[in-house]
Amino acid sequence: MKAEYVNPFYQATIQVFKLMLDLDLKRVLEADGADSQVIVQLSVSGDLTGTITYHFPEEMALKMVQIMSGMEFNELDSFVTSALAEIANIISGNAMSNLFERNYRCDISPPQVLTSPPEGLNTVPTLRLPLETKWGTLIINIALRETPS
Amino acid sequence: MIWKEKYRIGVSMIDKQHQELFRRVEDFIVNLRSSGKWEDRQEKVKSTMEFMKEYVVVHFRAEEEYQKKINYPGLAEHQRIHAGFKEEINNFAQKFEEEGYQEDLVQSLAGKLLAWLINHVASEDQKIGSYAKSLGGDSNEG
Repeated sequence: MKAEYVNPFYQATIQVFKLMLDLDLKRVLEADGADSQVIVQLSVSGDLTGTITYHFPEEMALKMVQIMSGMEFNELDSFVTSALAEIANIISGNAMSNLFERNYRCDISPPQVLTSPPEGLNTVPTLRLPLETKWGTLIINIALRETPS
Repeated sequence: MIWKEKYRIGVSMIDKQHQELFRRVEDFIVNLRSSGKWEDRQEKVKSTMEFMKEYVVVHFRAEEEYQKKINYPGLAEHQRIHAGFKEEINNFAQKFEEEGYQEDLVQSLAGKLLAWLINHVASEDQKIGSYAKSLGGDSNEG
């Protein structure tokens, strides 16, 4: 899988976190998945085919929603998961625009909240993009390939 | 208060409406997140949700009218985004009809709406402000 697929997601995530949350992210080499997390997956179709999976650790997820609402959140309820699904949707949409500038025309499916990590991650070539904040590390798994013509 | 100064686009009519919209969204969310039994709270939640929804329609219409007035080149795209959002809200309304007024469903709607609105105002709507400014600083006349 080409590394050039990663940058559009990196740029989109940095931009959306800054704009919506005033939160800075730092790209790190590796990170362990959190025990409790919100997992959001979207499918990509068009010139590229595959999935994008966002893993938000619990503490980060709760803080993100707290920043947006000004209210305290203590558990990963449907308000929190739905807000994060929308953020993953926004990031992915912006990443698709960035890919379009690199001449890849793609669409995304509506985001799905998963209750456990998706299977088959080891069989599909996947690039991992861990992005660190003061409340944990967001991991974005990018599994894309060129659609055979 | 969920409104932030950085959401201002520099067109006073739209900025005022955005602040009103954020107030109504906040009122809805505060009621939705309050403690107590769902049966006791749901009428109040429902009325604040309707109050907010009404204003979404009013505001989208006014914002699109303003874009027409200044010949904003991104009007068609902006209308498409508004229409997409209204369709998603209607999908929720349809689910309420079919499945009843379930708290989980209302919480999902509120979470999505909050994130969508913040991004839309902080990102897409800023482009209207930039264009209005480029026309010559008359942007506050709305």
